[in-house]
Amino acid sequence: MHYTFRLPSQAVSLRINGYALLCSAFLLLLLLCLFLYAITQGSYPLSVHDSVMSLLGQQQLIQDPQTEVIIWDFRLPRSLVALLSGSLFALSGALLQNMTRNPLSDPSLVGISQGAALAVVGLTILLPNYVDGWREIAAFLGAIIIATIIQLLRGNGHPLKFILLGVGVAAFISALISSLLTYGDLPSAMAALSWLAGSTHNSDWHDVDILFIAFLLITSLTLYQARMMSVISLGDEVAIGLGINLKAMMFIQLSISVAAAAIATAVVGPLGFIGLLAPHLARKIIRCGPANHLLLTALVGAILVLAADIIGKNVFAPTQLAAGSVTALIGAPLFAYLLITKKT
Amino acid sequence: MSRAKWLSWSGIAVMLGLLLFAFIWHLSIGTKTIPINELISSFYAYNEDSFNHLIIQELRLPRALIAICVGACLAVSGALMQGVTRNPLADPGLLGMLTGAALAVVYWSTLVSSASLVWIPLVAAIGAFISAVIVWGIASRVAGGITPLSLILSGSAFTAFTGALLAIHHLLDQQTFEEMRTWLVGSLLASNLTTLYWCLPWIIIGLIVAIMLAPSVTALSMGEEVATGLGININRRKWQLLACVVILTSVSVALAGPLGFIGLVIPHVVRFWVGADYRWIIPYCILLGAAYLLFVDTLARWLIQPHEVATGLITILIGAPLFIWLVKVRVR
Repeated sequence: MHYTFRLPSQAVSLRINGYALLCSAFLLLLLLCLFLYAITQGSYPLSVHDSVMSLLGQQQLIQDPQTEVIIWDFRLPRSLVALLSGSLFALSGALLQNMTRNPLSDPSLVGISQGAALAVVGLTILLPNYVDGWREIAAFLGAIIIATIIQLLRGNGHPLKFILLGVGVAAFISALISSLLTYGDLPSAMAALSWLAGSTHNSDWHDVDILFIAFLLITSLTLYQARMMSVISLGDEVAIGLGINLKAMMFIQLSISVAAAAIATAVVGPLGFIGLLAPHLARKIIRCGPANHLLLTALVGAILVLAADIIGKNVFAPTQLAAGSVTALIGAPLFAYLLITKKT
Repeated sequence: MSRAKWLSWSGIAVMLGLLLFAFIWHLSIGTKTIPINELISSFYAYNEDSFNHLIIQELRLPRALIAICVGACLAVSGALMQGVTRNPLADPGLLGMLTGAALAVVYWSTLVSSASLVWIPLVAAIGAFISAVIVWGIASRVAGGITPLSLILSGSAFTAFTGALLAIHHLLDQQTFEEMRTWLVGSLLASNLTTLYWCLPWIIIGLIVAIMLAPSVTALSMGEEVATGLGININRRKWQLLACVVILTSVSVALAGPLGFIGLVIPHVVRFWVGADYRWIIPYCILLGAAYLLFVDTLARWLIQPHEVATGLITILIGAPLFIWLVKVRVR
């Protein structure tokens, strides 16, 4: 059961699998349920009825007057940030895995997240007055510089080298970050520290705006790239034979992937393993073409981070765990599992 | 005496000289620079009223001794790992043993509030052993077996996992974290001689075993078939060597926290000198590792006076570029 979606000029053409669409709808439903749960649960429980009414803008039907403030000022931005950053990380990971032809790539394993982290921590500690407007830009520049350095170091070597080099670069950058944290003044160091743990709890509507714009841009760009992605995954020779300008394509995809990871990192901090796991889980659900796969990946990523946020918020309540700790705790064993079951 | 042997022996002399030089430098440099004649006189004519003598004997000497022990232990355990796994990128830190040991120590000091120093080396050893077994187990189940890549990937997954556990622990128990914070980045700042006394027997045992097993490490580094052919019981020897690595690593964690990349850097530098013979590599590693950590620690105290950089950060900042270079040159 396939549907083809085509623009008249044939610039965009997507082949859509019916079952994959069904899966997407199911995941979307799951995401909605989680979203409602995230909004109603917390240190001050709200009723589902009130929450839904508040979301729909029916103020006169709300019984608890606190609902409005709690939802619109705290829980809604937080959940939206979790969900959008999750899908950005997931898309970034999917692009990176496709490009390096290596199922184990992840923005946090290859040093991209650390590059963004170093830039943001440096900005927070060295120039604390400029944090607000420049955080996203700094993160993006840091990430792209580190990605370029790793690419230059790798040369034409094996794609696996990319990961090993990333591990080394990541260790080096973590040491730099630690020294910045140790010798910066205390308030900015604490601010940087809570950001570094990958936390969503002080997100506001400004963050949501940035993530939403980025999400729209990056999703449309990746969908536009989807046709090329499947060709690239067949190998360099085949891709060139099919008429793809490989160098340009690689550059574009790397930039999109880095941009997605950098923006998400700038807002919530480096969340590990989402970019690694989401594409794999999506593939486990159903095997389908790249366009469907990307949609599913984005959905799975959103679900993962939202779930991690809910877990972090509730397990040790009233102490809140950072979503980043939870994703690492769940992601690392799954990564080991993937490592074991991977066929070479 | 053949030329090669002569070179190796003269190298030992050079290393000893280097160690002595680093030792003296470490003792005399600091927030207060102490002239060398006073430094020497503090050893044979100790005067309790002299402020300089107090600084040397009470503050700097313990720290220097600990740096010597830790540097030697980490360098040797790195060399053994590289030999046994035939993996130029092996290092106790990259394979998750340092953070595993650190996590065990942190949990232990939370659970047992009056944590006695006696048990810390043992607890660290258990943590390091468990992490080594986990990382090794994951890597050996990967398709293609144990390769530098599979070991390092499973090591970094394990490190991410323990890092998250530590972060959660830190949130739930602020007080322990405050006490452990400097120790967790790898620092010789809070070092004291009591811990060293408890660790010293383990250090001596570990180093002696390493020297005794060195010939078979040379054989193992040439491949398992060769080692079997030379009459070595591979499995038993591997367990013995693992025990040795675990002891050396955990002792150094107990003394100074996780200090990354020393076990990677030193053996590679040593190999430039003496080639692939572990009978020479191990003694060289002991001397050079000790001198290196003394040197790095002096740097850590000297760079931004009157503060000091955590020693573990400098070892990573020096070691990680070498790791990157090794990946570039040695991996296909």
